[in-house]
Amino acid sequence: MTPKVTVNIDGANIKTARGSSVLDAALEHGTCIPHLCRVPYIESIGACRLCIVEHVVNGWSKVTTSCTLLVQEGMVILSNTEKIRKLRRNVAELLVSQAPNSRAIQDIAVRCGVKEVRYPFRNSECVLCGRCVQLCPGTFGVKAIGFVGRGKDRRVESPFDIRSELCNECGSCTDLCPMTVVPCDGPMKTGEEYLCRNCESKMAFAEEQGICISCDFGEGFQCERSPQNF
Amino acid sequence: MPPPTLDSILEERRSQPHQLIEVLQDVQEHYGYIAEESMRTISNELGVPLMEVYKVASFYKAFALKPRGKNVITICTGTACHVRGAKLILNQAVGQLGVKPSEVSDDGLFTIEHVNCLGACALGPVVTDNGNYHNHMSPGKLRKLIKSIYKTDAEEISHD
Repeated sequence: MTPKVTVNIDGANIKTARGSSVLDAALEHGTCIPHLCRVPYIESIGACRLCIVEHVVNGWSKVTTSCTLLVQEGMVILSNTEKIRKLRRNVAELLVSQAPNSRAIQDIAVRCGVKEVRYPFRNSECVLCGRCVQLCPGTFGVKAIGFVGRGKDRRVESPFDIRSELCNECGSCTDLCPMTVVPCDGPMKTGEEYLCRNCESKMAFAEEQGICISCDFGEGFQCERSPQNF
Repeated sequence: MPPPTLDSILEERRSQPHQLIEVLQDVQEHYGYIAEESMRTISNELGVPLMEVYKVASFYKAFALKPRGKNVITICTGTACHVRGAKLILNQAVGQLGVKPSEVSDDGLFTIEHVNCLGACALGPVVTDNGNYHNHMSPGKLRKLIKSIYKTDAEEISHD
């Protein structure tokens, strides 16, 4: 049996397996922390920054991504404070301005309480969440795609921008891409982007930001709380 | 002296994935750039996935994926140099040589590159030509520098 540790997430003491991440522990015990780049059973890379939490040590709190934070005995985590909600809302706003045509990202933004987008819409096809890169099985575990370049030129590409011979055409990358998960019915045209807020009506308590709802979104993202998994 | 072959660069480094950056640096130094073919060989010989080699080579500004000119002029456009007018210097270089940044001039003599910091912020704006640092650059000083490089090249050719 795996050794257990006790962590305190939002005031609840939960026992979870040593070596799991705070995000996994929280999801397992029913605290939904919004997340985008996490792929279950694969080590997280902390790319999307949506799953930020406050980690309280000796009365000081440190904001960090819960997917890359491993559980430790006696850890105190706050996932739904005013500070975190504000930061997370900003992260979600930036994501939705980068890729307004992704239904998945629109959903997340509304769930995180984004009311308006103050940044210019960039209509990018990619938010660099790295889900495809993390999952790509390639051949013999050798990835066929990866991050290339740096800074604002960072992008997902196969070597030399030609399809790698290591690609099995398994389609896992497109299956997991937030641009394709539950695609939006009518992609928003350039110059006509907006925050769709359709899914807001599905939220039980719109004023309670960050609260988990059993949304369609969870289906594609293997959210533990999606209707299928209940 | 002919540049060492890829084989000799890889000597005693085969199957050691952690040597990747050292090997790439040596290839960059001796060939001036890292060709696709070299990357494939390095990937095979070190046992590093090609994706990793390409990722590392494309990440660092120190590695060029396309051939560079004989003289590489690096212009710092970091914060300190930027506020002291790095843009004017970049424009001067681009105008005088007639090439865009990170392209090779028609005569194959020059490549202009801009980097984010050369680590000599107090001396800004900083320009390097083939690794020689020049401090407190101005468009005028750069014009003279480029002229002097042309001159040295012309002398070298006449000596040959």
